Amino acid sequence: MRKILFVLVAVAMLLSACGGAQPTATPTAAPTAAPTTAPAAVPTVAPTATPLPPGSIQINGAGATFPLPVYTEWAYAYQYVDPSVVINYQGIGSGGGKKAIIDGTVDFAGSDSVLKDEEYQAGKDLQMYPILAGAVVVIYNINWAQPFPADAKIPTLVLDRQTLVDIYSAKITKWNDPAILALNPDLGGYLPDASITVVHRSDGSGTTEIFTKALSAFSPEWKTNVGAGASVQWPVDKAGNGVGSKGNQGVAAAVQNTPNSLGYVELSYAVSNKLAYAAMRNKAGKVVQADAASVQSAMADFAGAFDAKLTANIVDAPGEGSWPIVGYTYLILHTTSMEDCLKARKLLEYIRWSLTDQGAGKRAAELGYAVLPPAVRDNVLAKLGEVTCKGQPVLK
Amino acid sequence: MLNQVKAIFSSRRSTWPKRLYGHGDPIWTLLLIFGSLLVPLLILAVGWMLWNQSAAARAEFGWNFLLPTLDANWDPIASNFQAWPFVYGTLLTSVVAIALAVPMSVGVAIFLAELCPSWLRLPLNWMIELLAAIPSVVYGLWGIFVFLPNIVAPVGSLMSKTLGQIPGLAPLFAGPMPHSGVSRLGAAFILAIMIMPTITAVTRDVLLSIPNSQREASLALGSTQWEAIWKVLLPYGLSGILGAILLGLGRALGETMAVTMVIGNSITGKPSLLSPGYTMASVIANEFAEAVSELHSQVLIEIGLVLFFLTLALNVAARLLVWSVARRTLQEVRS
Repeated sequence: MRKILFVLVAVAMLLSACGGAQPTATPTAAPTAAPTTAPAAVPTVAPTATPLPPGSIQINGAGATFPLPVYTEWAYAYQYVDPSVVINYQGIGSGGGKKAIIDGTVDFAGSDSVLKDEEYQAGKDLQMYPILAGAVVVIYNINWAQPFPADAKIPTLVLDRQTLVDIYSAKITKWNDPAILALNPDLGGYLPDASITVVHRSDGSGTTEIFTKALSAFSPEWKTNVGAGASVQWPVDKAGNGVGSKGNQGVAAAVQNTPNSLGYVELSYAVSNKLAYAAMRNKAGKVVQADAASVQSAMADFAGAFDAKLTANIVDAPGEGSWPIVGYTYLILHTTSMEDCLKARKLLEYIRWSLTDQGAGKRAAELGYAVLPPAVRDNVLAKLGEVTCKGQPVLK
Repeated sequence: MLNQVKAIFSSRRSTWPKRLYGHGDPIWTLLLIFGSLLVPLLILAVGWMLWNQSAAARAEFGWNFLLPTLDANWDPIASNFQAWPFVYGTLLTSVVAIALAVPMSVGVAIFLAELCPSWLRLPLNWMIELLAAIPSVVYGLWGIFVFLPNIVAPVGSLMSKTLGQIPGLAPLFAGPMPHSGVSRLGAAFILAIMIMPTITAVTRDVLLSIPNSQREASLALGSTQWEAIWKVLLPYGLSGILGAILLGLGRALGETMAVTMVIGNSITGKPSLLSPGYTMASVIANEFAEAVSELHSQVLIEIGLVLFFLTLALNVAARLLVWSVARRTLQEVRS
């Protein structure tokens, strides 16, 4: 018995001796490995001379889901522009993104809604940068009261600002309401005597925020009774003809499944799914369709309206060709307190690339987003140049 | 050979493995105690988190938050919240789902355990278990595109035309039924389908575990097969069947994704089963990600707390019911 114990102890000691010996053995091998890893620590000195190893810089972002498709594509494409950078963007919602950037758990946040004063105070040096704009459109599904002639093109439904507010306030509840008929003389006799099922988003979303901001701008009554936000108390719900659905897909499915219904989705979603969406009579009294030109026109109308934090409300634009339901989506950064200057530079370079690169802009436009007009973009680029790290400007 | 092995094991020299591993029992016991303590600890931790994180909301709204009302406020912009529409939606859809699912599942279980020809039993069992394995989001999709417009909508409009005309029941079955089928009734139907496999499988196992002597005795006394099932087997397995229903109820109360997709997510003033509604789990899933204001997220956590307590209370109540039933049947058996 004792002998066996002795053997066990001896074996254990041998094993531990081996374990102890390993660390002393490695340094002999280390010098050969060192030269390849060392440059990663000192690239700030000579950034262009020695390229960083691929994927060595991880930049994490989180926030709004509204721009998620285009951010994902940009992040993918940027790997070919600068292979050393890997950009992760998680669509956790604007609220979550704002919390994350205030807590410092991400390097940048995406948000459709503007930071509040107390959030600016909590985050100390936060700054917002508009990156893209998106439009919200009204999709509809009507069981026409009589069939259209076989060769006729079905006219697009036209709504004006007050009619849209009235529909979402449950003041207009029938498709053949005089207000709708007056806007759509071509559809007279086709609009049915049926009640309108009004679909809205059930999840809190930037789309809802843009849409309710627009309704608030259209009608002071909506502004006082309901207001604007990521989720609101819908008057149509109380009236009993409102239905909430989750996500753009949910709203689109609900509208497609419900005869005589109407709902709002992002333009990019309506375009890619070939849904019928209504034209609007804008503030200038002109009937406009939602497209890249009408959204850019709305941005240009408000190019001078930015405040110090680069935020602007761009709904209900006065221009003749402007789509009235438009909103910016923003990136949020810390402007003075970023710790890792190399990462800060890479992040700003990426943002500058996404704003200025033609391919990036083209891809965004294909996905249904509107890129910034030059006047706005120069504003944003100038503001990006003000970001500092440890007292030094990050972009030169 | 065998003797040699025995000799090695019985010799003094080879007792050391026994000494080394002989302490297994206390270690094992400690592990088990730790594991079983973990369960109440987890429940307490969840409850404490929900309670703690909703402090401001509870202070702001008090019991008014849960007051039954037809004109509830849920206004994130004015920060004015009342939870009744969600509580009502959860309770109504779960109760209707249970009412729809229980007769069906117990019937299927009786068929599977007592009446089914053996060649059919295996495929049926597989399919029941397959039904339980379908993810809830798939149920939701199928509900939106197939089940709701084609089955629930006609059934609902039939209900509003028949049950909705009976004076006492009119508010509960008031039409019009939405053409898309999106309604509390749709959610209840989907829930019933989702909890059916659970209830069926457990009830079937309960019935199968009843000793054959019970069946033989009642048949020998001259009862028909129907009487043997109805008067002997079901009472014998009642506590187990109630447990199965309890499992189903638990799933119905907490089911989120499928319900969110089919219930319409509308805070309406109508109490009708046929109008769109909302549940507690859905409102949390819908609004938590974008609950920007502190109070809004606190209120959603408070709804989580209410759901937590509701589930606990229902579980305790059902457990008491099972106990009392079990005691009663035991007494009946003894007498």
